[in-house]
Amino acid sequence: MRKHLAFLLALVMVLTIAAIPAYAADEEKVLNLASESDILTLDVAQTTDDYFIPHNVFDRLFEIKVNPDGGTDIVPSLVADYSVSDDGLTYSFTLVDGVEFSNGNPLTAEDVKYTFEHLLTAPKACNYDIAEEVVGAEALLDGEAEELEGIEVTGDLTFTLTLVAANAGYIAELTSPAMSIVDKETVESVGDFGTEPAYTIGSGPYIVSEWVPNDHFTLTRNENYWGEAPDADVVVMNVVPDANTQNLMFQKGELDIIDLDALDSSIIDSVYKTTYADSIVPGYRVGVTFMSMNENNEFLSDVNVRKAVQMAINRQSLLDNFYGGDGIIQNGMIATGVWGHNDDLEPINYDPEGAKALLADAGYEEGQITFEFSLDSSSGDTTAMVYQQIAQDLAAVGITAEIKSYDESAWLDFRKTEEMPAFLGTWTMDYNDPANILGTFFSNSTSGRSLNYANQEIKDRVDAASSIIDDDERMAEYQAIEHAIVVEDAAVVPLYERAHLFCIGEKVASFVPHWAGFSNFFVRDVEMN
Amino acid sequence: MSTLKSIVRRVISSIPVLIGVVLIIYLILRVLPGNAIATMMGEHYNAEAERTIIAELGLDKPWYVQFWMYIAGLFTGDMGTSIKYHKPVSELIATYFPVTIKLSVMAALVAWVVGIVCGVISAMRKDKLADRIGMGFSLLGVSVPVFMTAMVLQFLLAYKLGWFPIQGTKEGLVCYILPAIALGWSSAGSVARLTRSTLLEVMGSDYIDTARAKGRSVSGAVVFHALRNALIPVVTVMAIQISSLLSGAVITETIFSLPGIGRLCVDAISGRDVPLLQGSVIFATVLVIAGNLVADCLYSVLDPRIRKEV
Repeated sequence: MRKHLAFLLALVMVLTIAAIPAYAADEEKVLNLASESDILTLDVAQTTDDYFIPHNVFDRLFEIKVNPDGGTDIVPSLVADYSVSDDGLTYSFTLVDGVEFSNGNPLTAEDVKYTFEHLLTAPKACNYDIAEEVVGAEALLDGEAEELEGIEVTGDLTFTLTLVAANAGYIAELTSPAMSIVDKETVESVGDFGTEPAYTIGSGPYIVSEWVPNDHFTLTRNENYWGEAPDADVVVMNVVPDANTQNLMFQKGELDIIDLDALDSSIIDSVYKTTYADSIVPGYRVGVTFMSMNENNEFLSDVNVRKAVQMAINRQSLLDNFYGGDGIIQNGMIATGVWGHNDDLEPINYDPEGAKALLADAGYEEGQITFEFSLDSSSGDTTAMVYQQIAQDLAAVGITAEIKSYDESAWLDFRKTEEMPAFLGTWTMDYNDPANILGTFFSNSTSGRSLNYANQEIKDRVDAASSIIDDDERMAEYQAIEHAIVVEDAAVVPLYERAHLFCIGEKVASFVPHWAGFSNFFVRDVEMN
Repeated sequence: MSTLKSIVRRVISSIPVLIGVVLIIYLILRVLPGNAIATMMGEHYNAEAERTIIAELGLDKPWYVQFWMYIAGLFTGDMGTSIKYHKPVSELIATYFPVTIKLSVMAALVAWVVGIVCGVISAMRKDKLADRIGMGFSLLGVSVPVFMTAMVLQFLLAYKLGWFPIQGTKEGLVCYILPAIALGWSSAGSVARLTRSTLLEVMGSDYIDTARAKGRSVSGAVVFHALRNALIPVVTVMAIQISSLLSGAVITETIFSLPGIGRLCVDAISGRDVPLLQGSVIFATVLVIAGNLVADCLYSVLDPRIRKEV
């Protein structure tokens, strides 16, 4: 009896010990994240901002891959093969075989065509710039057609896409989160899937398993995912509007990655750059923060005044004082990290005396130049301090920039009237091509930016540049355009490209930020311990 | 019967108040610069898309037509659709209200139970140590802003000691304890001070002396005779506090990441989401009116003479 008991005890011990690693191996890897605000829709057709779901639940035809040296490449994702016609107007695509949506439906060329149509016709659609370039898009938008003429499905996995005008950067545009491929059958059946996790069907690595509005949403692995499975089994995105609360959560281990953009720079310097210095993952918000100057303004219409403003602002001091030096001073609008960035562009030197002399030569008396400098109060205390420093710099050369504060909605409403005299803006790249920023701010179709850039020749050249098929030639043209805009016309004051820092907790082994520094990063780029 | 009539009369008379509130909010948002669609699009503003969505949502109709349609919709139970959240306003309120009601009820418990107990003890121990501690506690509650109390409680009790969750609602009712204390403490202070002063006044009345002469102990006289009369003005303050608890919830909900009506209202204002803000304000107004009605009913329970007057 005693022998049996001893055997039984030994068996229990062995099984217990054996069970421990098995349990550890089966333990779910949960990645806890936080965001200051909740997503408003799951459908990318209805947003130009909420990109966490598109990035992690859907796939695109092409993606941008971040190389170990920090550079980026466009790589095919859902596309197995493609070719472009000599005139640059027609693209022929073959999709990867065997890709399924999370509901088991195969991903076909019909789904791709439907995605373009959905972008143009979804309720409250606002993210259709890229789809709009396809032949027949206008007719679909106006309700004069029922399908998109410019996309012809030639087989289950093959289709051709014809553009209204050649655009050598179109493949880069297809990497944009807006171009996330949806399941035709599901979206057609529900119409508007914007708030329903059950109908948010993509082919990406995760599915939306739960969404408690303004509290949290949860992603779990897509068991049908066709690519390499991501490391985190479950991703919980907590909605934590208070930055201090996010800070406490991270320090207590309740968050595994914290976006330091949410925190005050004093907390970053005193806590994160000391206690967590080895856990900081640096990245950049690929894009330029700039001071916009409205050429319809009485004084800012004069290129001498605009050049004086450029020379009067101490940009390095702004970066050092308010962002701890975390960033790169930019002399142009094509930021470091964007194709076509020009390191050799003439630097804008801080030269207050030169600015004074320029204004005096142009016939201005001290204090004569006054304009409103409009601040979006929701952009935070640090931005408000940057405004004050710029106003002081300008005052030192005799220019009065009167800071006027608006809440976000009023600020946006004022800016779209084209009457806002001057403001600070930041544009983070949607896709890696200079057309994204130059087309948005300096083309003939620019609207609601309060820039009123007057150089018609340059605006025409911006529009024409996208049709240049040869990439080297196209980039040279964009650099020449950038030179004309920033150096010759002094249309804006490029300030800096800010670093975007993240801090990882003990559960995270490695993390690669989004190539453009979006807060809505790809979770598949996170490896867990 | 007369009490019921009075309640019905009050409910009916509150309808014009509600319409007035809706109209004022509507006009204020019309006058304010900014619109929901441009705010929604933010940096990626597209004039063509804005025009299309405005037409799609009927926002291009004259303001009085939109207002009339909204009021007509209310009578059929339709509070409109949130522009920002793309969901029916009634559905959003139903989703967010449980959080706010849990927070408000727990904060009210903190405010009223702690406040009344503290006030009674202070009155009974006038000028003694307990009175000074009680009044010090209430003074702190009244003087320290809600956000400061919330941040201190969060840092000490949640972050340092780990007794409570730092934020969120995932762990159930325990998540509401710190926000409720932060929100309720300020109201507890006013209730305690008012209870103390009214109780002290009532304690000097002849009928309390009579009760004492008949052999009632001090505590017996307070509980069975004085407190009931002393509470009448306190109940008035408590009814008023319902609206301050709702407005204070905005800050506590933000600090403790609670998805309640307060944050919904802030989102609605910042996003110029007129239907959502109107719905939230109507809802808050109904709550305040209901709170005042309950207070009126409580008067008659506390003092039969008021019932006769009604």
